[in-house]
Amino acid sequence: MSTAPPPPRLPVRRSKRAVLAPLVALVCVVALAACAGPPRGAADGTDASFVLSAGTAGAKGDVDSFSWAVYAEPPTLDYTMAFDYPQNTILANVCESLMRWTPQLTLEPGLARRATNPDPLTWVYDLRPGVRFHDGRTMTADDAVFSLDRQRDPKNAAAWAQNFENVSAVRKTGPLQVTVTLKRPDSQFPQYMATAAGVVASRAGVTAAGPDYGTSGGLACTGPFSLGTWRKGQSLELRRFDGYWGTRAKARKVVFRFLTDASARTNALLRGEADGGYLIPTESYERLRHSGAGTLYFGEGLSTVNLGITDMKGPLGDVRVRRALSLALDRPGFVHAGLGGAGRPTSSLTTRAVWAGAPPGVREAAFGQLPATGRDIGRAKALVKEAGATGKTLTVATSSIGQDVSLLATAVQAAGTEIGLRVTLKSVAPNAFTALFTDPAAREGIDAFPLTYYDSITDPLDFLTNFKTGAYLNFSGFSDKAYDALTERATATYDKEQRLGVEARLQKYAAEQLPWIPVAEWPTALFLNKRLTGAPTTISYMYYPWAAGIGAARPGTAP
Amino acid sequence: MNLLDFLRFAARRTTEMVLTLLVASFVVFGAMYLAPGSPASFLLSGRSASPEALAAVNARYHLRDPFAERYLHWLGDMVRGDFGRSLTYRTEVSRLLADRLPTTLLLTVMALVMVVAVGLVLGRIAAVRGGATDTAVLLATTLAVGTPSFVAAVLLQGLFSVRLGWFPSSGAGDGFLDQVWHLALPSVALALYLIGMLARVTRTAMLEALDSEHVTVARARGVPERLVIRRHVLRNALGTVLTTGGLIVSTLLVCTILVETAFSVGGIGQLLELATTTKDFPTVQAVSLIVVGLFMAVNLLVDLALPLVDPRITLGTRGAAL
Repeated sequence: MSTAPPPPRLPVRRSKRAVLAPLVALVCVVALAACAGPPRGAADGTDASFVLSAGTAGAKGDVDSFSWAVYAEPPTLDYTMAFDYPQNTILANVCESLMRWTPQLTLEPGLARRATNPDPLTWVYDLRPGVRFHDGRTMTADDAVFSLDRQRDPKNAAAWAQNFENVSAVRKTGPLQVTVTLKRPDSQFPQYMATAAGVVASRAGVTAAGPDYGTSGGLACTGPFSLGTWRKGQSLELRRFDGYWGTRAKARKVVFRFLTDASARTNALLRGEADGGYLIPTESYERLRHSGAGTLYFGEGLSTVNLGITDMKGPLGDVRVRRALSLALDRPGFVHAGLGGAGRPTSSLTTRAVWAGAPPGVREAAFGQLPATGRDIGRAKALVKEAGATGKTLTVATSSIGQDVSLLATAVQAAGTEIGLRVTLKSVAPNAFTALFTDPAAREGIDAFPLTYYDSITDPLDFLTNFKTGAYLNFSGFSDKAYDALTERATATYDKEQRLGVEARLQKYAAEQLPWIPVAEWPTALFLNKRLTGAPTTISYMYYPWAAGIGAARPGTAP
Repeated sequence: MNLLDFLRFAARRTTEMVLTLLVASFVVFGAMYLAPGSPASFLLSGRSASPEALAAVNARYHLRDPFAERYLHWLGDMVRGDFGRSLTYRTEVSRLLADRLPTTLLLTVMALVMVVAVGLVLGRIAAVRGGATDTAVLLATTLAVGTPSFVAAVLLQGLFSVRLGWFPSSGAGDGFLDQVWHLALPSVALALYLIGMLARVTRTAMLEALDSEHVTVARARGVPERLVIRRHVLRNALGTVLTTGGLIVSTLLVCTILVETAFSVGGIGQLLELATTTKDFPTVQAVSLIVVGLFMAVNLLVDLALPLVDPRITLGTRGAAL
């Protein structure tokens, strides 16, 4: 079983290596109606009808075109800026990277047919020959060097710059060979080459577009689709690229429609104005499920919902208080109300899916000794008392930005009150809520706030590294030498099994120290109407050309 | 009214408008400056940026310059028609506006036409017919005035789009007719409140006029009732109605934000909402100023038109005439 990603709405910034990004939209009349229904679902908060799918059935034939709902318009499709759901969901079909994430969230060769590391400081990428860009040119090592250097150039302020911090040089070492030299071994770097960080675009194409690259004209990439008409504020079209080196896409055209309002998005799906979409608003699960218009699927995600601790100088500075709060939280209640029943209570900061490659022993080490997700009010009360925190006040930020945020804040308040803490909620406007992630000044006077985080790669370290001393999302300034040392060891270890072993220790450590309090795993949601099938259900849609597989659900409907 | 007076009045009002715009520009600029969250942190999308990247961003967008310098710099650019470059969209703000303004203008004009046509007619019918008709109009307008545009949007979508399937639930359409079809529900949602308001204003103004002496005199002189209504009552009431024009336009402009978002129309209102969220201040500033400018331009036109409609009103005495 597993996990999941979040429904966003307003762009919440992806941070550092991955992102947070919750959101969803204003609760509308419909949502209220849905919430008001009788309680349903299993005892752990998971909805009875919530089942994870490995994928959807393969397409039976081609379609002329289909339309897809996205919750926001990408500001730009420049791959160096692609750090949020809308841009990556679209870009994944247009631009390809050196490596590729599969629908099963594993790594395979992409534009590089092979990646080797002859020594710990060197990664050599042998490029696939005869790959054509949308602008008609053929891919060479020069294009790859140019594309990666754009990420590293401080003047570009690229969203992925941080993933290149250990890179000292990117050089062409053959007509179709690129060598990346590192300052220190970095086990995460080769994995990031499957995200937008590893995109290869045509040097000539990008240079010709100049400052307009990504905002108009073509993207000069290699994917199964090329960029078509972009009607700003409305929609964006992708056209099948006939010169594609891989498997031809099943649809001739894909139209992405920008539907910022959750209710408008749901209506468009119900009416067939959009044939499908990812990141379905939780409030709409019930309506879509029972509409008869199509199928609502859930798939593996790499997202967890957490209570992010922002201040260790207050009562939460005592680990006993953090543990008490974790013990008192009604996780199933939150999953039911906040995630529409589609999720799983967890006491782990990382998702189970992100450990998919780990041997059983390592998984056992990572998850076996974690505290239960059930409540123990008696013990929690005792811990608060022991810490001398009874009657102390906590301030938790909340926002109307999404149901997940406001309901978790409320759950924390309820839990705190029950164990002798005073929890006040501070309501923050949606735009200011986003600032909590980026601006220390905005976090002043706040002890904790709900946040959803997703990994961009299938490695637990992607998340766990956030609690290293001085890490960007380490809001509370959590600092522990042993933790830092383990993080560095994991970063330097290329051997996956060994690395996961170190990460299991990190995970256990984080679960004891609770720099953030984990609450639930959140799966991805996908809606497809009856006409279509063939989309992956996992969060792979961020960096895998998912649209290429979508086609007719029934044979004989080809154009 | 002589031409010279009129020109002098127009010049004075235009100067006032420019001064007001200047003050507005300062307020708009200052507000974004004071709002929480640094634009640089949004620009760098929440990553821990290297000092070089931060310096590059700060230099490119003049984020570290003193406030006065930044304001004057920006004002100078605005006057020259350069709205700057959007921080999130990485493109000229003027291009963002050019892409989205037509949609918002069409939406606003459609709503305005509905407000004027339906609002005036309802108000007139209620005042002239009285009785049950009046009560029905009063009830309907109470409902309309009491329904915020975003609630109307949800209700209209649910009924006419999802249930009946007559209209699209979102988007702005392609080509003129398709656009009108797509914008039909949004413009109704936008117009509803104002139709109610205008109908009530018209009704009250006409009832007052109906009560006035010159109407009694006209009737006594045997002037046909239709002429009395058109020449004396409606014309007298028009001044009041026109005066609410400014209010109507400002409400329309403000409510486009809610309605465009609810229907994902992709116009200026929606752009403003998104830009505010991401602290894309060049875009917010430009859109806010344009909205303020449009609003003031409409007010100016109303002021200039009033004396033409009602000769008793002299230039610039609109307040007194009320």
